[in-house]
Amino acid sequence: MATKARRQPLVVEAVRKKPWRLLRPPVLMAFPAVAVLLGITIFPLLYVLRLTVVSWELTTGFPAQFVGLQNFVRALTDPRFWNAMKNTGTLVVAGVGLQAVLGTGLALELNRIRRSRTLLMSLLLIPTMIAPVIAGFQFRMIYHDQFGPLNYLFEVITGGRFRGYAWLASPPVALWAVMWTDVWQWTPFMAVLVLAGLQAIPSELLEAAEVDGATGSQTVWRVVLPILLPVITIGTLIRLMDTFKLFDIVYQLTGGGPGNVTETIAYYTYLQGFKFFSLGYTAAMAFLQLIVITIVAQRFLHYQERVRGGVAV
Amino acid sequence: MKRRSRTYRVALGVVALGVALAVILAPGWSLAGPAAPKLLNAVKWDYPPKFNNVTVTVVGDAGHNLKPYEFWKDHFAKAGITVKIVEIPFEGVYEKEKTEFVAGTGAFDVVTFYPAFIGDFASNGYLEPLDTLMNKQPASVWNPNQADVLPPFRELYNKWGGKTYALTIDGDVLIMIYRKDLFEDAGEKAAFRAKYNKDLRPPETWDDWLQVGAFFTRKKGQKLAGKVLERDFYGSAEFAKRGFSFAWFVDRWAATGELYFDQNMVPRVNSPAAVNALQNFVDSLKNAPPDVRGYGYDELRDALIKGNVAMVVQWTDVPKKGADPSESQVVGKLGVGRVPGLSIGGRVNHRAMMPVGRVVAVAASSKNKDAAYWVAKHVAYDTSLENVSTFLTGLDSYRASHLAHPEAYTMFKNAAEARVYLDGLKVALADGYPEIFIPGAAQYEDALDLHVNKALAGQETPKQALDAVAQEWNAITQRLGQQKQVELWRQALKSYQALGLVK
Repeated sequence: MATKARRQPLVVEAVRKKPWRLLRPPVLMAFPAVAVLLGITIFPLLYVLRLTVVSWELTTGFPAQFVGLQNFVRALTDPRFWNAMKNTGTLVVAGVGLQAVLGTGLALELNRIRRSRTLLMSLLLIPTMIAPVIAGFQFRMIYHDQFGPLNYLFEVITGGRFRGYAWLASPPVALWAVMWTDVWQWTPFMAVLVLAGLQAIPSELLEAAEVDGATGSQTVWRVVLPILLPVITIGTLIRLMDTFKLFDIVYQLTGGGPGNVTETIAYYTYLQGFKFFSLGYTAAMAFLQLIVITIVAQRFLHYQERVRGGVAV
Repeated sequence: MKRRSRTYRVALGVVALGVALAVILAPGWSLAGPAAPKLLNAVKWDYPPKFNNVTVTVVGDAGHNLKPYEFWKDHFAKAGITVKIVEIPFEGVYEKEKTEFVAGTGAFDVVTFYPAFIGDFASNGYLEPLDTLMNKQPASVWNPNQADVLPPFRELYNKWGGKTYALTIDGDVLIMIYRKDLFEDAGEKAAFRAKYNKDLRPPETWDDWLQVGAFFTRKKGQKLAGKVLERDFYGSAEFAKRGFSFAWFVDRWAATGELYFDQNMVPRVNSPAAVNALQNFVDSLKNAPPDVRGYGYDELRDALIKGNVAMVVQWTDVPKKGADPSESQVVGKLGVGRVPGLSIGGRVNHRAMMPVGRVVAVAASSKNKDAAYWVAKHVAYDTSLENVSTFLTGLDSYRASHLAHPEAYTMFKNAAEARVYLDGLKVALADGYPEIFIPGAAQYEDALDLHVNKALAGQETPKQALDAVAQEWNAITQRLGQQKQVELWRQALKSYQALGLVK
């Protein structure tokens, strides 16, 4: 620590005295990485920030005009923005929650299997390897009211009493149908993550629990899950950030309909940006999303810190 | 152990290869591209003076509608042109082309786009005016014979501000398609007469549409045309998915003679007549399959050609698909007619929306404008009959000459059947009613589509939905610049007037 404190001013001072030192190979070698970082991360971020305060409608050909915070006001008073946020929130809370629960359950079961676990895990991972747009297409077929296998199954099971249900076209159900597609695709990811965590638990701990007379469920609830919590938290955070950007499945399955019951914030932002070319407004919406996701991520990481520190266990 | 594992992997590889080969070589699979349609020589055309091996980049929506550039690649080669095709997914055409135009990349020479965006592209200077190129001599090389193009496409979708910027290659318009075997069935006719005290015939008005639709809607186990149904059957179906559902509303509304806006761009979309039209659309869903709100082009087409519904309003390529036995279960059973209308003052007015469609234009940034124009003209005129009369593409007729050659449409059983199809088409094309095609079209249409869809989903009443559209349209106009939008709309109005769509 002391070395670091001493070195930093020395470097700065050395560069100030002899600026040509910047041209030394070690510095030069770092330059491409810094340039790339500036070019593809910092510059676009600053550019988008600048766009948030202008009105720039590309369909008109008018130049950008400074409008201050009007784009933010427009977003915050736009019912469609809030509807999209609400839909996204539902998908995040219910969908990712389900993925966490089902993924953890699946991992616990897989952990008990000795033979063929790798094969099973590989098979389970297939959905995650499929492009979301293909998954959307598959589920469009599965949900089809007349020819879809889902309705066929229900018809067979209920002896024909339940048939031809419009999963994607029924307003109260459509969002859940979209959510199940996402859950189908990403639950295995959670399972793999949790399984890796499970396999890292020292066997002594489990043996100690057994010696202490803990039942199977007690071991899971009191020993395994508390240890797994940091892993589950990180997995949930990754999925949460991903689901916040959910676009492909919506695009393929419903196009945001019926009405706007499945319109997510990513889909609405896409419409504003690439269909309407309303650049200022799109940038403002993107920034608002960034703020929300940063706050949520911050809360999650804070929670994870507490868990690791033993406070929440 | 190691050797066993390797043997296992080799065996697995062999099996995978076998499966892949079996799939590729299976009947119906081919690595070769589709054959070109036979050259019909219905049009006299000549090659241009040979270009110096120039490359022309053509961009358009991916799939069968770009096939003509493959069909006629020998022609392009003879003209000294290599055509490079850039395919973009259907929904992404506008955004991709607009992005390239704004960035000024000059990536494309020939752009295929949906004519609703002609106002945007032409008024922003992205397209080359074609009038000079069209008038070059000799006419057999350069003249695309625009007089042959049916007026709605020529006047509304090719021109902007009095100049020609694009050539039509796909004449999309909606048409009514119905199961003529059901309408001709003696038992059904008698049942209809008994129930409604009038003859069963394809609907003439939108009220008839509801009535006939309700009549044909049956449950599994009931009889239809003397046969017991193995699954539910529906009287009608609609394009009720987000995207173009607004067009099925405008079909019902435009026949009133009202336009999207008045002279000063005050929205007229929430008039009482418009509310009634939307109510009719909402009511029609009772006679449609339960997941009709998820129906786009594919689902609506399949509902008809798989024998699930009695009638639909659809694009004009669907009867061609319905005549293809590899896809259709209703071959020879389809009839076509005018999109239903509204009875006003004892006379029925019909309007048929012209959603989507495709036009080709030369990019203003193209470095090979002459070659690019010739490629566009060759597809839009010289070989156009071949391109629209084959089921290898999804392109639809748009020229008077296309309607005069029933023998070219070989997917129909005979020329007489093709004639019936073309006659129906001729009437539908005369009823053609355009999309909003001023700059901002995407925003206006999205707002309309969203609220129409909300009404269909029961989230809003028709009145609430259309009031919301009017409010959003005003906001869009203000955002895009009231004065300029009004000017552009008035310019568009002149085209409407030239076509007699408004007085």
